[in-house]
Amino acid sequence: MHKTRAIKDRLFTLYILTTSTLALIPVLHLIFVIVIRGFDSFVEGGIKFLTDVPPTPLSTELGGIGPSLLGTLILTATSLPITILIAFFAAVLANEFPNNPISKTVDIISRSFTSIPTIVVSMTVYLLVVVPMRTYSAIASSIALTIIALPYAYAITSAAIRQVPLMYREAAYSLGMTRWTTIYKVVVPITRRMLSGCVLITMARIMGETAALMFTAGRFRTGISLQLDRPIDAIPLLIFDYALTPYPILHKVAWGAALLLIIIYFIIFLAVKTIVKEVKL
Amino acid sequence: MNNLIHAVELRNVSIFIGKTPIIKDVNIEIPTNTVYVIMGPSGSGKTTILRLISRLIDLVPEVTVSGTAKVLGMDVLKVNPYVLRRHVGMVFQTPNPFPHMSIYDNVAIAAKINGVAANKEELDEVVKSALTKAMLWDEVKDRLKDYPHTLSGGQKQRLCLARALAMKPKLLLLDEPTASIDPVNARKIEEVIKTLKDEITVIMVTHSPHQAARVGEYVALIYNGGVIEQGSVRDMFLNPRTEFASRFLRGEI
Repeated sequence: MHKTRAIKDRLFTLYILTTSTLALIPVLHLIFVIVIRGFDSFVEGGIKFLTDVPPTPLSTELGGIGPSLLGTLILTATSLPITILIAFFAAVLANEFPNNPISKTVDIISRSFTSIPTIVVSMTVYLLVVVPMRTYSAIASSIALTIIALPYAYAITSAAIRQVPLMYREAAYSLGMTRWTTIYKVVVPITRRMLSGCVLITMARIMGETAALMFTAGRFRTGISLQLDRPIDAIPLLIFDYALTPYPILHKVAWGAALLLIIIYFIIFLAVKTIVKEVKL
Repeated sequence: MNNLIHAVELRNVSIFIGKTPIIKDVNIEIPTNTVYVIMGPSGSGKTTILRLISRLIDLVPEVTVSGTAKVLGMDVLKVNPYVLRRHVGMVFQTPNPFPHMSIYDNVAIAAKINGVAANKEELDEVVKSALTKAMLWDEVKDRLKDYPHTLSGGQKQRLCLARALAMKPKLLLLDEPTASIDPVNARKIEEVIKTLKDEITVIMVTHSPHQAARVGEYVALIYNGGVIEQGSVRDMFLNPRTEFASRFLRGEI
């Protein structure tokens, strides 16, 4: 009996290890290819790769992705805080007042938005924002990105808040804390690690989104612009556009841009994970 | 509030969850500055009564309450629950110190929320006094900045007791506070309870008649949502009036 159990246990462990490795191989392969190819672009372009404008198709110099990098940072900086703020309050509302009709509506809308194709969001924002403004803009792009990232942020924030055991809320209430005091003094600090993970996942969603920007950003990559009501560019959009061209130099820029996107994300990921300590229950 | 004869008065109180009655027509009067024990078998409604007294019953979905419930002179069903809870401390069955706060902060937060201390010196004094009353000061005085996960289960429960005491409550509710801890820590908590009645009213829920006899002055025996018998501990243990009480006290139920 004991032997049969041991064999079953080993077989199951082997199965888990094999399937986990199979799932990881494509991801690792992708990262490996991006690092190898992107590194070449970094070496060739040097520090100017981060600041210069992209090359023309027949150019001999690699140039850089300055406008796209700046655009990605601007779009992340404008849409991430708004997304997180709305998602947090919606999640608090849905969890703390589950029977409230507004909570139920917010919950249903957020869940249904998860499955809307991002290109549809982009087209809708085009009609509602770009057409009236008569220009593509960072504002339109931020709105599209916020709409797309919001359901994800809401789902993860909601899960993080639900994860805090009821007994800590009860303890807080028994001390005379109000609901909001309980949330910011007890619930949020206990689940801070998971909430920081929520911010990171939302950030990754925003930084990596392409379709949302197709009808909203305007692909302004010939200079540096800090104006939110003017066209803008972003790294994923540049990668998408350049990958479709037949020019090797633009492919090279796209590989370098992909590596930069991964590096930026990992730096922020490691910084947040190091700073935000886990609470031991 | 200081001249109250009864800290708690429940008159014809019934509690329903949905359409299911959990508490049925309960009448209880709890004198001030006593240790009152609510005992009974598991699932008889003891904790529900405590949750009504602290208005934590609001957290239970689909609950309705009928009758009159007065706590420290306040109508429980009408008073602002946050105002009520500032006078009513509570210790739960499972130790629940805040895991993200240090031992010191766990106690200090109760004093801060309720405006018990005016400055840091007073706060330090309140924390020390609460931990001393909970018989925990000597064990933690050198590691007040440590987090509760470093404490044993019994120490965690005494920390929760200290936290409740730091509020300077007039009424302390204890929901089977020794159910999940070892006998040594359980005895310590019982010792603390006995010393508290000079200052505040204590209501303790337990399923153990032995514990009720050790710490209580008055007792109510609850079964199936109703009060079977109530009175002084001495009277009930020496002369139980009902067959159910006799059997419960003999440990047959």
